[in-house]
Amino acid sequence: MSLAEFLSGINYFIAHLFGTGLPMAVFSILSAVIVLLLFAMPVGGFCTYLERKVAADFQERIGPNRVGPLGLLQFFSDGIKMFLKEDSISKNADRWIYNFAPSLVMAGSFGAFAAVPFSAYMIGADLDIGIFYAMALGSLVSLGVLLGAWSSDNKWSLIGGMRGAAQIVSYEIPLGIAVLSVITICGSMNMHTLVAQQAWPTAGGEGHFWNVFHNPFMIINFFIYFTAALAECNRTPFDLPEAESELVSGFNTEFSGMRFGLYALSEFADVILFACIATAIFLGGWHVPFFNLQSINLGLSIGELDLSPLIQSVLMIGVFLFKVSVLVFVVMWLRWTLPRLRVDQLMNLCWKYLIPISFFNLIGVAIWTWAFSGRSMLQLLGQLLGVY
Amino acid sequence: MTLADIFVAFCFLLGGAAAFFTAFHPNILYAAISLIGSLVAVAGLYGALGADFLAAAQLIIYVGGILIVILFAVMMSEDIYKRRFFEGAKKYIFPVLAAALVFGGLAKVTLDADWSVATKPDFEPTARAMGWALVGPYALVFQYVVVLLAGLIGAVIIARPATKMQKFTDDEGDN
Repeated sequence: MSLAEFLSGINYFIAHLFGTGLPMAVFSILSAVIVLLLFAMPVGGFCTYLERKVAADFQERIGPNRVGPLGLLQFFSDGIKMFLKEDSISKNADRWIYNFAPSLVMAGSFGAFAAVPFSAYMIGADLDIGIFYAMALGSLVSLGVLLGAWSSDNKWSLIGGMRGAAQIVSYEIPLGIAVLSVITICGSMNMHTLVAQQAWPTAGGEGHFWNVFHNPFMIINFFIYFTAALAECNRTPFDLPEAESELVSGFNTEFSGMRFGLYALSEFADVILFACIATAIFLGGWHVPFFNLQSINLGLSIGELDLSPLIQSVLMIGVFLFKVSVLVFVVMWLRWTLPRLRVDQLMNLCWKYLIPISFFNLIGVAIWTWAFSGRSMLQLLGQLLGVY
Repeated sequence: MTLADIFVAFCFLLGGAAAFFTAFHPNILYAAISLIGSLVAVAGLYGALGADFLAAAQLIIYVGGILIVILFAVMMSEDIYKRRFFEGAKKYIFPVLAAALVFGGLAKVTLDADWSVATKPDFEPTARAMGWALVGPYALVFQYVVVLLAGLIGAVIIARPATKMQKFTDDEGDN
């Protein structure tokens, strides 16, 4: 009995217990919420701690160090504070939209985690259109930012929200084209297939190593994706929607308490999500060089239950999360290194540089894929040297 | 009633209610915002019917693109709370006629269709088949989209007058 059979057995048991009607619907929704709360909330919270520590290191300060060992529980106390704060609404705010907007942002950034392949055996929803689904849900974020900003009846908010929506809509184009070039190489939008194809190349194997090293165009494409993703998450140097030196706090100026918390948390969730997708489609997901983790078999088992998928899964998740945390660290590093762009510079960068370059790259990738029938640089080198 | 039935019923209710608000809410802003519900519900129905690619495309194009543009236009208008876009019964006549025509057509198609119940096939991914259809049998239709894009770019170039402000920014460059 493999792990997958064991898990589907559990699924069958639950379906038997709850039937397939309304109780099952409630159960599925609740379990999704619990998984989100167990994963996204602590990780997002921990990111706020990490960001303050990284900032402190860059500015030669100590940073949070009072709550818990090394200040590790700081985000926990911040969370409690946010829950207890008064949820104020300004007098002329549009109550309905004001209450509704943060949940839209939250739904957009957390829902997309379902398609992230943490290991070969652990993926929330193995959709055929996985990467497209993640991008589609991302479009809810810009809507939430725009509505929240408009409804709070504050001109700083409105300017921030307008900037946010314009920025997100513009940068979605180079982002989408960079993703499209990955789809061109792999011929699939399924996250699992995308990652599986990035294994270390072997004699008869399908793998062509990480997509970022597939061909010269893909290296540029990775940087285009990363830049556009920074802008999509409203992170410095593209944090114009909440430019604190000009707009107080931008689109979330009027939000307080847990509503502000939702905005802050989903910003970090967005950063983690984009790091996850970049890892999965460019940096090879759970794959490491020279070796395929899926070939590990220690022969351990409990009774009939084969343990090797579990061991592989733990290793894969470790590799995946390591890559994600490196990317998240780079995002924080950039925040304390680069100054903010001006609005016109932001739009210039997108429309005059990133979009033309990404179109050129897409054509380049298509020609490479056609000319070398989909083989990567590494595979060609291996063939040249006669390694396999 | 299975999970899928509940989901479809929910989508119908949400979509219907949101469409009703969009049509009859006197304030144009709320009408635009309730479009969210209607568009998301349609995406949900696509998903429930097994058209996974279409559902995601519905979200990314309509909710992420067109709705944002509509909201931009509405929010930039003056005195948005005072505007009422139904003034006088005269404005009801043509919309009601058009709606009756569309409804009649849809009703005829619905009644004429052969609604024999088939066994539901297993879910099959649609993206690959759609891609082949777009570069195969429907390549000509697909090409028209490019013509549309060229038309849009042409329109932007023609509509953009060289105003004083524009010359000023053009001369100053990007420095």
